[in-house]
Amino acid sequence: MTLLYRLILRPLWRDRLRTALTILSVALGIAVIVAIDLASDAATGSFQSSMETLTGKTDFQILANGGVDERWIGRLDGLPVDAHFAPVMETEATIAGIGSVPLYGLDFLGDERLLVSRALVRRLAAGAVTATVAGRRHTFTKRGTLDAPGEFLAIDIAAAQHLLERYGKLDRIDVTVSPGEDAARVEQAIRATLPPSYLIEKPGARNQENQRMLRAFRWNLRVLSYISLIVGAFLIYNTISVSVLRRRGEIGVLRALGAGRGAVLWLFLAEALMLGIAGGLIGLAAGRLLAAGAVRLIAGTVNALYTTSRPAPVALTWSEAWLGLVTAAAVALASAFGPARGAMEVAPAEAMSRGAHEHHARLHWPRALAFSAVLAAVALAVSRAAPIGGYPIGGYAAALLAVGVTALAAPAAVVAANRLTRSAVHMRLEGLLAARSLAGSLGRTSVIVAALATAIAMMASVATMVASFRETVALWLDVQLRADLYVRPAGPQTAGEYPPLAPQVPAILESTPGVAAVDVFRASEFHYRGERATLGAGNIEIVRRYGRLRFLPGEDRDAILRSLPGRDRAIVSEPFANKFGVRAGDVLTVPIGDRNVALRVAGIYYEYSSSQGYVIVDQSTLLKYLPNQPATNAAVYLAGGANADGVEHAIQLRLTGLGASVAPNRELRRNALAIFDRTFAITWALEAVAIIVAMLGAANALLALVLDRRREFGLLRYLGASAAQVRAMILVEAALLGSLAALLGLALGGALSLLLIFVVNKQSFGWTIQFHPPGGLLAAALLLVWCTTVLAALYPARVATRLNPIEVIREE
Amino acid sequence: MGDSVEWEEMASSRVEFRGVSKTYRNGGQPVAVLHEVSLGAAPGTVTAILGRSGSGKTTLLNLAGAMDFPTAGEVLIAGRATSALSARELTALRRTRIGFVFQFFQLLPTLTALENVELPLQLAHTPKSRETALDRLGWVGLEDKAGSFPYQLSGGQMQRVAIARALAHSPELVIADEPTGNLDDASGAQVLALLRASADRFGATVLVATHSAEAAAIADVRVRLRDGRIVERA
Repeated sequence: MTLLYRLILRPLWRDRLRTALTILSVALGIAVIVAIDLASDAATGSFQSSMETLTGKTDFQILANGGVDERWIGRLDGLPVDAHFAPVMETEATIAGIGSVPLYGLDFLGDERLLVSRALVRRLAAGAVTATVAGRRHTFTKRGTLDAPGEFLAIDIAAAQHLLERYGKLDRIDVTVSPGEDAARVEQAIRATLPPSYLIEKPGARNQENQRMLRAFRWNLRVLSYISLIVGAFLIYNTISVSVLRRRGEIGVLRALGAGRGAVLWLFLAEALMLGIAGGLIGLAAGRLLAAGAVRLIAGTVNALYTTSRPAPVALTWSEAWLGLVTAAAVALASAFGPARGAMEVAPAEAMSRGAHEHHARLHWPRALAFSAVLAAVALAVSRAAPIGGYPIGGYAAALLAVGVTALAAPAAVVAANRLTRSAVHMRLEGLLAARSLAGSLGRTSVIVAALATAIAMMASVATMVASFRETVALWLDVQLRADLYVRPAGPQTAGEYPPLAPQVPAILESTPGVAAVDVFRASEFHYRGERATLGAGNIEIVRRYGRLRFLPGEDRDAILRSLPGRDRAIVSEPFANKFGVRAGDVLTVPIGDRNVALRVAGIYYEYSSSQGYVIVDQSTLLKYLPNQPATNAAVYLAGGANADGVEHAIQLRLTGLGASVAPNRELRRNALAIFDRTFAITWALEAVAIIVAMLGAANALLALVLDRRREFGLLRYLGASAAQVRAMILVEAALLGSLAALLGLALGGALSLLLIFVVNKQSFGWTIQFHPPGGLLAAALLLVWCTTVLAALYPARVATRLNPIEVIREE
Repeated sequence: MGDSVEWEEMASSRVEFRGVSKTYRNGGQPVAVLHEVSLGAAPGTVTAILGRSGSGKTTLLNLAGAMDFPTAGEVLIAGRATSALSARELTALRRTRIGFVFQFFQLLPTLTALENVELPLQLAHTPKSRETALDRLGWVGLEDKAGSFPYQLSGGQMQRVAIARALAHSPELVIADEPTGNLDDASGAQVLALLRASADRFGATVLVATHSAEAAAIADVRVRLRDGRIVERA
């Protein structure tokens, strides 16, 4: 303990600023991980319906694509089983000032008045409640309060059907088996009665389904959140390396006095552990705070891409806190192990000078470069592996290996840069000294370069992936959105929910002067092999004539679309095909209404609005099995020469009071890209933190370099160097370091972005993304990182110019 | 006055101490390191500052090199008091008029022997710095080690490089603090010969702080310090 205090704690305290910077880096890394974890849990963890607590224990739920026909209730009630069958409607109601809350239609109410949950009633004004349901505003009279957790509204089932114009249809039937009755017998009886296309599942299955659906999303988010910690690991490595280098002499003395190799190893591991735990504790607190902000961003993404998200309160449990601390400690120990082992191997008699030590590093760079090449080959091989359990393990392993490749190649890069820039930077003394110092302290500078390069690469690769995705989506939107106007139910949009348009809307659109064609689309969610997907039906002939749907290479668009009308044939989206391994010519069994319909896949088309996947049939096919399926949106094509604004205005007038929203092509496109940008807001936030950590690292590392070389700076002052010359030398060194890191980072970033786009994304979500690196953005970001690195050197430069030459020379 | 040096004698000196005292604060308590020291060193001479550890030798050299300033009295270099000089003038003074040699050599590990010697010339933006540095390296007999890094040299070689560096810009004043303290006898003798030669050949004023009798033997003037006072002059 005394040794720990004298050799580790005291120096840590003496270099308070550097210690604080290292702890802060770890804290930020842990904070991001904790925040993303807590926020993801809060945003995606509470899909449990309030209904389950409201109606008590439900044993089964009966669902059907296109809705459950309510006539089955009577048939089920007649079964010789002791069970209760409750019809349920479920939709969203938007209340001004409160937002979206669930609205349930239940059969035990008997009148049209509204019941409000106790939690919600506190936030409502007294009197009638005005809410927008399926795009139309309704005013409800309050009947009473329901004692059940969560915020929701409930009305009579018939009133709900009327509101949604879903006469005769139910969203589901909840089955409660009476005590003493055999649940398996009830299930068997229900199955024997209902059509095979109906789904009977246990309550909570939907929650599990949601979790399964969000698995890839959460996994990728979690991996992204680890970026900052990876950068932080380099910084701990650097801190411990510096610590070992500065105390080589002391280690030699200790060993000569009888300290064992293990004692020396543990001394430095203990230093890392202390930094890790301190950073972990601060990170936990900061992560808890950041989580509140992150919930909103993640909930927005889940809402836009997957399903309704109703964020639960953020809660940091003991197990999560423990996990955060253990992660911090493990990362600290793992990153410190290399340098600590180096300390252990210092021979007692070896009062090795730094010059000789660094000379070894200079001799070893070719070996490191060779290892790097071997690792690169392994990374390439690993990246080609198939996903494991749906996770792109190979892609991420290859990414991690690529970081290793860069770290190992960094010393060679420093040496190469020193040689290549010799004539340029050696023109001035400051350049010569800076370049020599970089190459001379190879062991240390290459770690800094690798850390900065990793942060830059992460930034560049994620930016390239998002920009490529955005550009692909933008191009796809240009192709996909060919209609002039789009009509859908008013109100907020949530992925996986398809509120109906008022029945009279299609006819109104078709009869409006200036309209050439209307493609009425009917979408509904269905289950395919235990996962959710969307079944859509449109007027394929209109799509063929006006649209520009793009199919996978080699597929004949015109022939495919012509083959759909009047036949049980479908086209499927690329994510659907990738997820279920579907190819053109395969036959899918899709539940439509009361039937399980066999649909032959005619082709696979590019689609980027949902990773859940679409199966599209001609409207004639859908209506054959589900005659009353309502329209969910419509695309309007105008006649040549029609005044677009005039027609839009006319349609809006004609649809007044029907709860429909009309948007021109450009607005839809803009909205789609706005949703896209919102979706990736969290990604940018994570990137920003990683860059901040890297900047802290740069400042920390440069400060370490200055402190470690203070004797040199003192000597320079003896030899007549002015403060400005010393400052210039450090700034040039930072600039060289930043440039080198930017170059290496860009190369690594290029490799990582290819992995993200063509391996990770493809395997996680099934999308084909075209490679579009954002040149301007990358250049600006690199410039910013470079400038910040140079700015980060200002403080160390100030420290160097204020050193007392007499004191630092006397320290020797 | 603490000693009896004549003022006329000091007028011709390149470095002069006039009643110099130096006090440091240690834990709030004043610690006097030098007491009213007056001393002059003329061009082309070697002055040995002798005394035990803690007698004030290094402080005296730091004051002579304008790296530190007296608490009382004044240190004049070429007739100007160091404490009256601006930071810019002090930098210029160290660049052009003073050369330092340290006990632990103090070579930059990332520079070759030649580059170490060239360093002060480059700091002062002196033209033909490489040629001059090569010449000085040749003078200390290490021309063949020009491309070697410090860790590739012996202690004696490193100190000879340090002397070449101290003489690179032909300073009027060479300050050497225990230059042989870290060397074997043979290497020490070589280094002392070079210091003597730098006074004889370049006309430099050489101040050497030392414990060793060999070092004292090459000096023209020997000054012994005890507890910050000059107690003997020969």
